[in-house]
Amino acid sequence: MIKVELRVNGQPVSREVDDRTLLVELLRGELGLTGTHVGCDTSQCGACTVKLDGAAVKSCSVLAAQASGGDVLTVEGLGGPDGLGEVQQAFVACHGLQCGFCTPGMMMAIDYYLDTDGSPDDERIHRALEGNICRCTGYVNIVRAVKHAAQARIAAGKPLGKANHG
Amino acid sequence: MDKLVGQPLPRAEDIRLVSGKGRYTDDVNLPGQAYGAFVRSPHPHAAIRAIDVQAALESPGVIAVLRGQDYLDDGHQGMDHIPNPADAVAFRERAFSQSSTGVIFNQRHLPLAVDRVRHVGEPVVLVVARSVREARDACERVEIDYDPLPAVVDAVQAMEEGAPQLWAGAPRNLCFQARIGEEEAVRRAFARARHVVRHEFRNSRVVNCQMEPRSALGSYDPRTGEYLLIAGSQGVNRQQLCMADALRIPPERLRVVSYDVGGGFGPRSCVNPDQLAVLWAARRVGCPVKWTSDRNEAFLADYQGRDQVIRAAMAFDEDGRILAMDNEIIGNVGAHTVSYVPLANGSRIMTTVYHVPAAAATLSAVLTNTPPTGPYRGAGRPEATHAMERMLDIAARQLGMDRIELRRRNLIRPQQMPYRSPMGLTYDSGQFAANMERALAVAEWDDAPARRQAARARGKWLGLGLANYVESPVGAPRERVELTVAPDGTIDCVVGTQSTGQGHETTFRQVLADELGVPFDAIAVRTGDTAFVKVGGGSHSDRSMRLGGQLLVEAAAQLRTAGAPVAAAMLKCGTEDVRFEQGRFVDPASSRAVGLFEVAARIERDGVPGQADVRRYSAAAEFNGRIPAHPTGTAVCELEVDPDTGDVEIVRYTSIDDVGRPINPQIVEGQVHGGLAQGIGQALLEDYQIDPESGQVFSGSYMDYGVARAGVMPARLDVELTEDRTQGNALGVKGGGESGITPATAAIFNALADALGDCWDGELPMPATAPVIWEAIRRAQGAQQ
Repeated sequence: MIKVELRVNGQPVSREVDDRTLLVELLRGELGLTGTHVGCDTSQCGACTVKLDGAAVKSCSVLAAQASGGDVLTVEGLGGPDGLGEVQQAFVACHGLQCGFCTPGMMMAIDYYLDTDGSPDDERIHRALEGNICRCTGYVNIVRAVKHAAQARIAAGKPLGKANHG
Repeated sequence: MDKLVGQPLPRAEDIRLVSGKGRYTDDVNLPGQAYGAFVRSPHPHAAIRAIDVQAALESPGVIAVLRGQDYLDDGHQGMDHIPNPADAVAFRERAFSQSSTGVIFNQRHLPLAVDRVRHVGEPVVLVVARSVREARDACERVEIDYDPLPAVVDAVQAMEEGAPQLWAGAPRNLCFQARIGEEEAVRRAFARARHVVRHEFRNSRVVNCQMEPRSALGSYDPRTGEYLLIAGSQGVNRQQLCMADALRIPPERLRVVSYDVGGGFGPRSCVNPDQLAVLWAARRVGCPVKWTSDRNEAFLADYQGRDQVIRAAMAFDEDGRILAMDNEIIGNVGAHTVSYVPLANGSRIMTTVYHVPAAAATLSAVLTNTPPTGPYRGAGRPEATHAMERMLDIAARQLGMDRIELRRRNLIRPQQMPYRSPMGLTYDSGQFAANMERALAVAEWDDAPARRQAARARGKWLGLGLANYVESPVGAPRERVELTVAPDGTIDCVVGTQSTGQGHETTFRQVLADELGVPFDAIAVRTGDTAFVKVGGGSHSDRSMRLGGQLLVEAAAQLRTAGAPVAAAMLKCGTEDVRFEQGRFVDPASSRAVGLFEVAARIERDGVPGQADVRRYSAAAEFNGRIPAHPTGTAVCELEVDPDTGDVEIVRYTSIDDVGRPINPQIVEGQVHGGLAQGIGQALLEDYQIDPESGQVFSGSYMDYGVARAGVMPARLDVELTEDRTQGNALGVKGGGESGITPATAAIFNALADALGDCWDGELPMPATAPVIWEAIRRAQGAQQ
C-alpha cells in the first residue's frame, strides 16, 4: 500500500491505495468521480483523459502514486450542470456528443489543447484529437465545438494558448 | 407556442453527460458486490477435456470458480437468440421458413462453453472474487485441458464438403440455405439479356467498437426470488425475455435495467453470454457480481458485424435497362446462431432504388469458428447497397455507358409509387431521381474533370463515386407508449425504445410538447427498466421515432379525448363543445378554459365521469406491425489517392438524405456524420484480421484495428436533408440512424475505382488500406512494363 496526496478539482485528497492503483481507478473507485471513463487498456481511446498539473494525461496510464503531489482536473471540475464551462457549453451547443461516453475525455483533451494553441484550425484540431476516439459523431460536430469553445474563451477574456488551469 | 418538431434544439440529456453525471453500467455499484472475470478460449475450435479449478479456488480473494456444467447442474439452459427475425412484410411470421437443408438451425447458446469451444474468446470459466485484480489473477490459475480441433473461419470454405463442422445439427455448417424470388422470370431474363455482369464482393467483418466496454452487474434477492441485471443494451425487454427463458423463470422474476448506454450500433440488441453468466453467478455466490469487459475482450467477444460474400449477377438489355438480378449472399454467422437479420434485410432490399423486373437470391447462413455476428448499423442494407452500386459502375464500364446515365435509366420514378419491389417490399414514397440530381449538383459532379486535372498536377489521382440507397422499415414490430399527466404539472412518458446516443430525451419531448401544447420541460421520458417498461422493442433499424413517434401521437390524442369530458364537466359545457388548444381545453362559447394539469387534478380527486375509480390521467398506445417508411438518399464521395503511398484523402463528400420529417435536424445530421465515419472506417481502415490457418485473431485492440479518427473525415462535407414525407405514420418520419452508413462504402469504393482506373483490377479487398492500394498500383504498373 502507498499513501497518495493530491488535489482533485481543487479539493485536497489523501488515500492509502494498493501500489498498482491507476489514477483512473482512484478517481472512479475511491473518489466516485465516474465522469472519467475507461474505454480501452492500451491508452489509444482517450476516454480517461484528465488534466494533471495542467497537462492532458490518460489516467489509465498513470499510477495514482505518480500523481501524488499533483493537481488533477476531471470533467466534474470543468463545471457542474448549473455552471458548465466553455468546452462543455460548446459541446451542447454544437451537438458534439451522442452517447456521451468519450465526451469527458474528449473535452479534457480539448480544454488542454485550447490552453496550448493560440490559433486552432481544422488540421491542428484533428491533430489534437488524434488520441481520442469517438464512435458516434464522426468528429464533425466535435471540431465545431472546439472552434465554438475557442471563441467563447476569447470572448470571456481568456486568451488561447495560455494555460488557464494548473 | 412555436412548434418544437423540426427545431435543432440542444439535447436535454447533454447537461448530464457533459458534466460527468452520466450513469453508464460500470459507474453503478451495489453494496457487497463481488467481481467477475472470464477465462476465455485461446483456441478457435477445441474439445474441452477437463477443467481444473482447484488452484484458482485457492487463489486470494476468490469466492467461486464457475463452469458451464455448474450452470446446467443448476437446471438452467442456453439462450435462444431467436436468430430468425420477424419478416419485413408478414411480421407475424419469421423471415426464413425454407431451407435446402430441411431445417432453420437454431442452437441454444450457453453462457459458458461446456464440452467444446468454437471461437477464440468464447467464455469458459467465470471467476468471482473480492476484487477485479484477484478475479483476474485467479483466471491465470484455471487449468483447462483442450484438445484442439481443425477450425474454419471463412464462410465460403466452411460450406465446402470436408470442412470442420461446428454443430451436429448444421450439416456443411449451414444454418439454412434458401432460394428466394422469381426463379423462372429471372432465368428467362438472363437468357434473353444483351449483357450479363457478374462480380463477387466480400463485405468485410467489422468490430462494433462502441466506446463503452460492455458491463453487467447482476444480483439476486433470495427473499423475493427476484433477479436484477443492470447492463447497458439497446432494449431491456428482449434481454429480460431471453435471459428469463434461459434461467427457466417467469420474466417477472427478472428485472433488467439499462441506464446510459455508451453506443449501440446494433449488436447490443442481442443478448450476450457473459451478462447471463454474471446474473446466474450472483444467485450462486449470494452477492451481487459485477463484470466489465476490457477492450481486448471486446475485440474477441462482442458480437461483430457484416462479413458477407455477395456474388452478384445482373442482366441488362441493349439500352442498359436492368432486366433481372440474381445474387448469392453468404453470411458468416460466426460460432453461435445469434442473428440472421443481415441476410433478411440484405435480400429484401437488394434491388434498392432501381426498377428491377425480376430478382432472385440464394442465401446461406454459415457457421464458422469466429465471434458471432449480429446486426451492425444498417444490418444487410449497406452490404446490399455496396453490391448494387458497385455493380452499376462495373456494368457501365462494361456496357460503355456513363454510370450516371445508367442509373437515370433504371431509377424507380415517382409515378411508379407505390412501388412493389420484386423482393416484396412496397415503397410508398421517395424521390430517388431528384435526390441523385441534387447530389450531383451539390457535389459539382460535372466540373470534376477540371478538379481531376488539378489533382494530377499535384501528383494525386482524383476519383468520384456515387451511391443511391433506400432502407426498409424492419426491426421488432411491437412497441408501446404510456403517458401520465400529473397534477403537479409534469407529464410522464414511458416508452420501450431507449437511446444509445440518439437523444430520445429530447426528440420524444419535442413531439409531445407539440402534441399536448405543454412546455418541453414539463415532460419526463423514462426508458430502460423492465420494472416500468412492460413492452418495447428497443432501438434499432430506425424504429424508435417511426414506431415510438406514431405511438406518442396516438397516446396524446387519447389524452385529449379522455380529458374532454372531465374538462366539459369543469367548464359546464358539452363534451362535444370542448376544443383542445395549446395544452388547454377551451369552451369556445364562454372562452373559459382549463389546463391539462387541472384536468389531471380533477381526475385524481373525482375520477372520470362514469368511471369514479379511474384516478390517473393516463393513456397507453401499443402497436404490433409494420409502418411503411423507406429512408432514402444519395451520397457522392470525392477522394484523392497518393500513388506513391497509397494514401487516400476524402476531399469532399455530399450526402443527400430523405429521412422524412426530421424531428430534430441537428440530431439527424449528427447521425449522418457518425454513420459516414463508420462507413469510412469499413471502407478504408477497419481490418479485423483472423489468421486463416490458425484461426487466431490478430486484431485485439485499438492499436491494431483502425477506427476512424478526426483526421480521416472529409475535408468538405455537405449534408442536406430533403423531405418526401411518408404518409405511413402521423409524423411523416422515415428514420435517420442509418442514412449516413448505408451508401458510404459503395460511394467510397466507386470513387476509389474511378481514381485508380486501370490499376483497379478485379475488386480491392475491404478495407482498402494504404498498403492494399499501393500494392494494386505497383502490380498494375509492373504489368504494364
